[in-house]
Amino acid sequence: MNKPLETKVVGFLCNWCSYAGADQAGGAQKSYPDNFKIIRVMCSGRVEPEFVMQAFRNGATGVVILACHPGDCHYKTGNVSAVARYRLLKRLLAQLGIDEKRLVMEYISASEGERFVEVITKTVRHLETTPTVAA
Amino acid sequence: MKTRIYLCKCGNNIADHLDLARLAERIGQAHDQVEVVTVDFLCSAEGTEFLSHDIKNSGAERWVMGACSPRDHEQTFRKAVESAGENPYLLQMVNLREQVAWVTDAPNRAEAKALALISGAIRRVRLHQPLSDRELEITTATLVVGAGPAGMKCALTLAEAGRRVILVEKSPAIGGKPVLFEEVAPDLQCGPCLLEPMMEELLHGKNAENIELLTLAELAEVKGSFGNFFTTIRQHPRHIDPAVCIGCYECIAPCPVSVTDFSDYQIGRAERKAIAFAYQGVLPNAPYIDGSLCLRNQGKACSACLDACPMPGAIQLDQEESIIARKVGAIVVATGATLYDLTALPNLGYGTIPEVITSLEFERLLAANGPTEKQLLTKASLPPESVLIVHCAGSLEAAHIPYCSGVCCTYALKFSHQLAEKFPGISITHLYKELVLPGKSAIALAQRVQAQSNTVFQRFASTADLQISEQDGRIVVRSPEGELVVDMVILCPPLVPTPEAGPLAEQLDLSRDRGGFFEEVGERLDSASSKVKGIYLAGSCQNPGDIREAANQGMAAAAYVLAGLVEGRNLAVSPVVAEVDQKLCSGCRVCGSICPYKAIAISAVDGKGAVNDILCRGCGTCAAACPAGAITCHHFTRSQIMAELEGILA
Repeated sequence: MNKPLETKVVGFLCNWCSYAGADQAGGAQKSYPDNFKIIRVMCSGRVEPEFVMQAFRNGATGVVILACHPGDCHYKTGNVSAVARYRLLKRLLAQLGIDEKRLVMEYISASEGERFVEVITKTVRHLETTPTVAA
Repeated sequence: MKTRIYLCKCGNNIADHLDLARLAERIGQAHDQVEVVTVDFLCSAEGTEFLSHDIKNSGAERWVMGACSPRDHEQTFRKAVESAGENPYLLQMVNLREQVAWVTDAPNRAEAKALALISGAIRRVRLHQPLSDRELEITTATLVVGAGPAGMKCALTLAEAGRRVILVEKSPAIGGKPVLFEEVAPDLQCGPCLLEPMMEELLHGKNAENIELLTLAELAEVKGSFGNFFTTIRQHPRHIDPAVCIGCYECIAPCPVSVTDFSDYQIGRAERKAIAFAYQGVLPNAPYIDGSLCLRNQGKACSACLDACPMPGAIQLDQEESIIARKVGAIVVATGATLYDLTALPNLGYGTIPEVITSLEFERLLAANGPTEKQLLTKASLPPESVLIVHCAGSLEAAHIPYCSGVCCTYALKFSHQLAEKFPGISITHLYKELVLPGKSAIALAQRVQAQSNTVFQRFASTADLQISEQDGRIVVRSPEGELVVDMVILCPPLVPTPEAGPLAEQLDLSRDRGGFFEEVGERLDSASSKVKGIYLAGSCQNPGDIREAANQGMAAAAYVLAGLVEGRNLAVSPVVAEVDQKLCSGCRVCGSICPYKAIAISAVDGKGAVNDILCRGCGTCAAACPAGAITCHHFTRSQIMAELEGILA
């Protein structure tokens, strides 16, 4: 590869916990990589595998799904559905020749602004230094 | 599509980190049909007034607010759009403050990120559809299940507000568990004096006509949803009309049937007739006939009670089970709790040694209206000289009940106080794992009891370590801490949900926690609301607790009903819900199984799903799960999210 592609990471954040967690990081003015951009969904359960695939098609280096902690979901079990889908999709990505590490899912609560910054920084830094094609 | 973009400076919060003039210019270069306006404080009174005026005169069809988090001001800006006469859903926010200005160090990078997010918003908002609330007529009547302190307080509060209440109680009596107590912990208030005024108010007070009390009744079926529940109640025959009966007891003695009464009130220590009062002083003040005992149900001709009754019409021997249909707008579940069954711990001797009793049984032995009329005697008919009180009997143990009920220590101290007063010189041993004495009065009681002579507090580790047996008419308690010989053992088991909780949870689609208690929306801020819209929770069916908590939660549930269902006001059903396209639906039923609110009805004929928009909360999990792509999640549609994605990655 002659010229490294710009690293772009998209996050799907549930409105109630993770998006609020990101807002908390914002309120605390804790900076994190600017190439991470957020799409708000009401629940992580809304995230269709197709959204993730479309993100890769549109040039995303990585996709992050952030959900409420198990048991804390505003919609009772939406995050449980999201995790089940995520696990399946990870396996599928490998088969399609996409490094499964490019898809990340984490639980971030509304009070975990600091953890949000850690998770995003770690994920983006990892993707910036990793070839984006599966070995 | 003409799209107008407002960039909020937010004082210096955004403007210091982003050159908004340059950003505006770049937005204009990157998109067709956009206009950008910069405003000082978009959320201020001046800002929203400007917004409303500007939107009205802009000629644009869509609006983007580059400002703070939508969690802060999306509602504010939607109102401004609405006040301009436009549809509030034709707006999209970009979180420039929390997600760009405050968290991005390099100004040029901040500008690039802002541009990307705004591009996503422009593409998305152009696909927004105008949406509006659906109006639904409602009924304000409320069904309350359980006439303990929580259910009664809820019913009374609603009745006082002029609401019609249907109060369903499974037993023949109202009052719940506290009617079993002679005195109430921690301040030793007289139990009947505390409860009776409330019960009288419920039965005969100035708002009593608003309350339809159905005793010996249970919920049979529930259909519909918030605002319009169609309920069916099964009422077992009481055979006595409490409205006619004068409570004279004339009917009791002539009844030829006599059996031991194992009810919570008489605990197997008194006899009862087929026709009986649950206990002396019961409310409603009327007896009931236990059909399984009455000779008429064994094919014998008997009318002894009827013959003795001075009130024509009070006794109705041929009464049958009735099925009662009531339409209500909300349901309050207040079914209470019961004690953990200690026969699961046979080493404690409960059920085999008569002098080993539970706390509720002890309450009855001390009660003036109990089976022994306050007589408390040992097997040898002597006053007890020594008593062991076991706190935490089965609680704080993984193999039994892991939690603490929070009420037992306080009433155990009450027992100690009552025993010392009744039998001066008695020796009392408290075995406890943890002493839990919350609130403003329990410690005062504890200090009084700890100062009593012959009262010992001793810690123990596990209920399994206690071996309680009978020896020469006395009770021997062996534990790793030593051996103790007493006349009586009082066990304080944890509170657990009643056996009805399971079937009721299924009927109402309520979720339950690990302990079997009904699950609330929020443990702290929304403990009186279940996860099903329009179904509220009060008292120990939600969390083990005391009378105070139950009454408070009953009132909290009433407040939810009063706020959610207002006479003359329709229910506004949010448009941000899912919808199934019947043409695309293949009938696979996946959506029905995944919906956290059971908001999707599956057709029995072809398996096709249909969303009940009253129950749907718009999480979109079904839309993501549908393999046919037949489900649209309004305002978070596939095409809207895809457009946003393309915009931010462009």
